[in-house]
Amino acid sequence: MAAAPELISYQQVRGDLWRPLSGAGPRYLAVVTLLSAVVLWGGIAWAYQLHAGIGVAGIRRPVFWAFYIVNFVFWIGISHAGTLISAILRLTDANWRKPVTRAAEAITVFALMIGGMFPIIHLGRAWVFYWLIPYPNSRLLWPNFRSPLLWDLTAISTYLIGSTIYLFLPLIPDIAQLSEHATGWRRHFYRALSLGWTGSDREWRSLERAMKLMAGIILAVAVSVHTVVAWDFSMSIAPMWHSSIFGPYFVVGAIFSGIAALLLVMSIIRKTMHLEKYLTPHHFDNLGKLLLLMSLLWLYFTIAENLTAWYGNDPSEMNVFGSRIRGHFSPYFWIMVLFNFVIPFVFLGIRRLRTVRTTTFASITVLIGMWLERYLIIVPTLSMPRLAAAWGHYSPTWVEISITAATFATMALLYLFFAKLFPVVSVWEFEPHSNKEA
Amino acid sequence: MEKEATIHALREMKANGFGADRLDVFSQEPVDLPRGLLERPARMSFASVAGAVIFCLLAIGFVYFTQYNYPLVTGGMPLFSFWATGVVFYELAMLGAILTTFFWFLRESGLPRRRRLAVPVVPPGAICLRVRCGPEQQDDAARSLRLAGAVNVRELEEKP
Amino acid sequence: MNEESKVEHRWGMAIDLDRCTGCQACVAACHAENNLPLSDPESAAKGRAVHWIRVDRYYEGEFPNLRVKYMPVLCQQCDEAPCEPVCPVYATYKNPEGLNVQVYNRCVGTRYCANNCPYSVRFFNWFDPVWPAPLDLQQNPDVSIRMAGVMEKCTFCIQRIKRAEGDAREDGRTLADGDIQPACVQSCPAEAMIFGDLNDSESKVSRLAGSGRSTRLLEELGTQPKVFYLQRAK
Repeated sequence: MAAAPELISYQQVRGDLWRPLSGAGPRYLAVVTLLSAVVLWGGIAWAYQLHAGIGVAGIRRPVFWAFYIVNFVFWIGISHAGTLISAILRLTDANWRKPVTRAAEAITVFALMIGGMFPIIHLGRAWVFYWLIPYPNSRLLWPNFRSPLLWDLTAISTYLIGSTIYLFLPLIPDIAQLSEHATGWRRHFYRALSLGWTGSDREWRSLERAMKLMAGIILAVAVSVHTVVAWDFSMSIAPMWHSSIFGPYFVVGAIFSGIAALLLVMSIIRKTMHLEKYLTPHHFDNLGKLLLLMSLLWLYFTIAENLTAWYGNDPSEMNVFGSRIRGHFSPYFWIMVLFNFVIPFVFLGIRRLRTVRTTTFASITVLIGMWLERYLIIVPTLSMPRLAAAWGHYSPTWVEISITAATFATMALLYLFFAKLFPVVSVWEFEPHSNKEA
Repeated sequence: MEKEATIHALREMKANGFGADRLDVFSQEPVDLPRGLLERPARMSFASVAGAVIFCLLAIGFVYFTQYNYPLVTGGMPLFSFWATGVVFYELAMLGAILTTFFWFLRESGLPRRRRLAVPVVPPGAICLRVRCGPEQQDDAARSLRLAGAVNVRELEEKP
Repeated sequence: MNEESKVEHRWGMAIDLDRCTGCQACVAACHAENNLPLSDPESAAKGRAVHWIRVDRYYEGEFPNLRVKYMPVLCQQCDEAPCEPVCPVYATYKNPEGLNVQVYNRCVGTRYCANNCPYSVRFFNWFDPVWPAPLDLQQNPDVSIRMAGVMEKCTFCIQRIKRAEGDAREDGRTLADGDIQPACVQSCPAEAMIFGDLNDSESKVSRLAGSGRSTRLLEELGTQPKVFYLQRAK
């Protein structure tokens, strides 16, 4: 059982958490350069795709959706990190979450920005993507609100605006404190961003009220966002897609992958920014337990979905089911089960094995497993439509792989920039001389 | 410790006739004062719900009227279908709640503002109690604060 | 007078599977009529070939009692098309004559409609089409060329329908049964395909659709297709 965090003085808290904001070491610059190169390469791949036609990607008939939509669902799923930690734990007054909330909320915002790019990237004519937006036009055309893709647009836009506000609100007091101690351009930047925050009780009260309300609202939005993304699939009549379980299944999967992403990010910033006193084994222990819980929930949903399909024995569904369990996709399926359930169960379920290192390892396997899960939901169903003459196999090309890699690099890059501008652990929420249970 | 002294001081000030609107507590962390000590009217939840309802109705109206104003050929499907477009109404209602909460927060807290009023720079861990009063009450206020256990009492001019 | 403009048509097709020999003349005719993009064996293997009408082969039994059934599959022009509600820009809808039309210049290329079609009859333009000489000289001026990023599918040769309706209106007569033949129907050597107005109870297609040999593909999905497959009841 990990010990409660030790008490740390105010000065040391500020020293530790503000130190990463000043200057950039050679290691940081090297990593930024490498990541930028990957992002640039992904940009080149996308430009090539726009120029030559989307045929340079591996998508084909009948697998009209593949890597791009897998990534879309995956990143929107990652964005549920902030929701769980900030909203649910805030609502239940779980104080141990305090050092972790800002990192989680930042993951949410960046994951949404990245995930939101994919509906544009995967379009055949991406340059007219704005036709999905309702605006008055001389051709008297209007988008179709009946389409789940329009629901996606509204849901993700709402969630993005909401989580940006949700990230910004508790950042204001920290920015105000930073502006007192910063110099040069940073002082002006922080001053402007802090909106003149003075720290009066009126402001604190209002902020805390707003945070409580936002926590509840963001929770409602997040559940609906991933349900809507799930409904892209379940509103279709394709075999094994038209299942009512998809809504809750995707939400659970999203929270699952979100916690895993958070654990991984926490592990990295803990090591590189020397935050061992703030992101303690206690946090990893708690989040590890949550990850285990979500793993069990994920397993429940997976069994429920597959068992009912198998028992129902609908021929079109059984083709897809067979290809996943025994056929062409079976290696991915069983790796997914191993990564999503077996490894987390062993390393997080056995108390003696639950350490910071094993929790991080389990979270990496969960991230890989969840990406595979998205792939296994989308591609097998599309590969085997109802009429067998149309069956076909999909394999990605360098364009899709480059763009996928670029999104991971973009996430890391955005996070690196964020960590240089703002303290990644919330300073005002960290209580050094605390008499309360942490 | 500081919190107890602050609460004591606030009670003293209120007993001496200073209303809650003249008292402000500054700190780098939120101070948990007992209920009723410094009453600030709170209507944010109400505003949030109102914002959600208004945006929801606006969204329904928007979708309904635009789908009739831009009547596209739907081949037998109704022009406006409530349940088929219901998700959009829900999301926009949530957006209304979010934006209302945020802007109500800005309104209630007075942000964004330029620091015109005399505002102390509070070191971390310390709590500062600011009393706004006329020049004749200044000495009374200062004496009460010292009696309550203030470590440092400063008098500042309020710039117009 | 404008007799033709008073008539409401509902176009349908009947395909006699007992007559179909699997010769694929309909496929070739459709390519020629509708300016379909070309593909080579390599891109066809990658699933990029476009055939608005295709002939599916089904094998029944074992050698020597093997039977092969040929089934031309084209857009079924469903009355309750699953492809229509999911298009975010309303690029596909059912027109007043019951045809499921695809508006090329509205399509942004989300490909949701293709995923939702249970018959897999929708095709996507992955690249801009290229016709090497002399094929570029044989294109049909009545049919637009689709650019990369746009979805397409069988239209029941709507250009022929419109041409025939226009001619009838000018001549002041109504369309007779058999006046309009899509390219596939016209080219079938076994006369296995019949096209006509389902609203006209005397038309050949209506009589065949109402016959005891008439079935529809994937009827249990409730898509209400307007292509009727005729085969002897087992």
